[in-house]
Amino acid sequence: MRALRKKELEKKGLKSRALDRKERVGQEQAMAFLEVRNLELNVGGFKLHDIRLRVEEGDYVAVIGPSGSGKSLLLETIIGFYSPKAGRIFLEGCDITAFTPDKRQISIVYQDHVLFPHMTVFENIAYALQKKVKDKARIKAEVERIASLLEISPLLFRRPKTLSGGEKQRTALARGLVVRPKLLLLDEPFSALDVRTKERLRAILKNAIREYSTTVLHVTHDFDDLWALADRVLVIRNGKVMQEGEPEAVFKRPSPNFVAEFLGTNLLKGRVRNREGNLTVLELEEKSLAQASKPELEMESEAKSSLLFYSADSGKPGEVVSLSIRPEDIILAEKALESSARNMLKGKVKVLTKKEHLVSVSLKLESGNKSDLSAISKAAQASPGFKAPACPDSKVSEYSDSKASGIELKAVITPTACELLGLERGKEVYAIFKAANVKIIR
Amino acid sequence: MKQSAFRKGATGIACFFTCLFFLAVGTLLLILKPSELLKALLSAEMLYSMKLSLLTASISTLAVMFFSIPTAYSLSRFDFSGKSLVRSILGLPMAFPELVLGLSLLLLFGQTPLGSGLEALGLRVPFSKLGIGVAQFFVAFPYAVRVIYSTFEGIDCRYEQVSRSFGYGDFETFRNVTLPMARGGLFASAVITFARCIGAFGAVLILAGGSYMYTEVLPVTLYLNISYGNLEMAITSGVLLMGIAFLAILCFEHFEGEKS
Repeated sequence: MRALRKKELEKKGLKSRALDRKERVGQEQAMAFLEVRNLELNVGGFKLHDIRLRVEEGDYVAVIGPSGSGKSLLLETIIGFYSPKAGRIFLEGCDITAFTPDKRQISIVYQDHVLFPHMTVFENIAYALQKKVKDKARIKAEVERIASLLEISPLLFRRPKTLSGGEKQRTALARGLVVRPKLLLLDEPFSALDVRTKERLRAILKNAIREYSTTVLHVTHDFDDLWALADRVLVIRNGKVMQEGEPEAVFKRPSPNFVAEFLGTNLLKGRVRNREGNLTVLELEEKSLAQASKPELEMESEAKSSLLFYSADSGKPGEVVSLSIRPEDIILAEKALESSARNMLKGKVKVLTKKEHLVSVSLKLESGNKSDLSAISKAAQASPGFKAPACPDSKVSEYSDSKASGIELKAVITPTACELLGLERGKEVYAIFKAANVKIIR
Repeated sequence: MKQSAFRKGATGIACFFTCLFFLAVGTLLLILKPSELLKALLSAEMLYSMKLSLLTASISTLAVMFFSIPTAYSLSRFDFSGKSLVRSILGLPMAFPELVLGLSLLLLFGQTPLGSGLEALGLRVPFSKLGIGVAQFFVAFPYAVRVIYSTFEGIDCRYEQVSRSFGYGDFETFRNVTLPMARGGLFASAVITFARCIGAFGAVLILAGGSYMYTEVLPVTLYLNISYGNLEMAITSGVLLMGIAFLAILCFEHFEGEKS
């Protein structure tokens, strides 16, 4: 999306604000479009601590983190509602730290719209423009253009209190975008909306952002926003940036552990046992943290375990690491299967949770199961079409110890798959995943 | 559904005092015949008193609103040293006996350089019609600030911040966003202020004096006529003051109902 927008910018002849900036600033390292340096702030109970951020022109950055982590405070500091205790904010190479909000050319859209109740939809959008544009005909044309883009043309003469949540949010987006801000800040704009409205709004927003070529910082709790819209993601906790990068990279390789927990990744603690060819063999530690995002499970997970996992990441023997496995990367099967996947674990379904259009399956790896590599191998061999693995030691993960209990894995499957497998609480299934999907976090 | 004894008791107390109050007000209305009421209403003294009351209360209300809006706004939105002290001092006259407030104002405008300075400019406050306005202003100002302050507090400051982000300055935002959003509260405050101004007695009596047909406003008319034993005039001025208060409360309740 980012590359696409860059191309569009160039096509429109808008290019190169970034290049101009490089020349203008004349620094060794080019300054990013938005650059936040060592930002410190303490407002009420919320804190920002040493925030550093670089956002390139045209980027769509999703800011995620638990409630109270300072995400909204970061946006409100960037727009100038709060003055930082320390640190600097640069926009297009210009230090805007001391600028009042009216001088920054940044727009913000809140979850609860903050539409002026005494103005109609038209007046709300036009109000944003009136300071910049004096020609009434041009204001009207601009308002009509954005209204058409955001599909609110029939609502222009209605008051905000007569609009639905989605309509209000589209109006707020129109008001934020119509001024063509250098930076658009979105503070959980879709969180109060239903799933269908959210999906529709994402598509509308994506289109509008492309049309207006705006750089966006979007605070969200909804990972669907992130996948649908963001080029980059920033994870914040307790006012500190924990990780940033492309969504895929952050989800696949969350670091540190907090990010993995927050992103709902299966997070297990283990020790590197040895290397087998290109693979690292990991042995789970005594106190494995299965699904640390569910503290009630931690107690259960403190049992001794020596489950083995295979990872394509490298590791030094003896090294203590965390393993991250995305729930979407786990395949569930009724029988042991022959496949290229290096990890196959037997377990029982503990909890089935329907989540919008997916089913989350919590799998408890069996306790007291004496089965080991050979047992599972036998099961695999018994299944039709089984062929001996080319790499005998690494085909299946083994239960080498009966105390490998309490470890939980979460998998995400579709309701159809759930039905086909006949999943129910207590049913035995195999969790299969590739060594490439077991990420080592240090 | 069976009602609890507590619920019955509390409702009973509310009804009892409402009836008592209604009886007291009803007595005021029922004692005079309509012809006597009309005669007293059309007397020169009553007409003078009414005109002066309406004039001074209207001017005082405008002055109170003009000064209380920025005062309440600054207390609601800005941080400055001594803010809590300012808030306490501004609220003090609400707890003050009006007579004490009147005496304080009399000393301020009569015995200090401020009073002599104003007099040198031709603005004599004590025992003058100007004194009526000044007394009314000080009586009503804290109430107005309190109502407007709570109105501004009820407006999410993000509305103003969003307006600022579109390039509008502090004052433009206040004019375009805050004031229109606060108009219900401002209207309620103006009504309460007017009722307080027109009913102000103690402070007016001490600062402006209760001179017959000079600084005579409706509460003073009531006081003077009850002193002379002229019940018709006293009751008529009482009925007028009550009517104004009743209208004010109706307006206020209407606003509160709209807000909720």
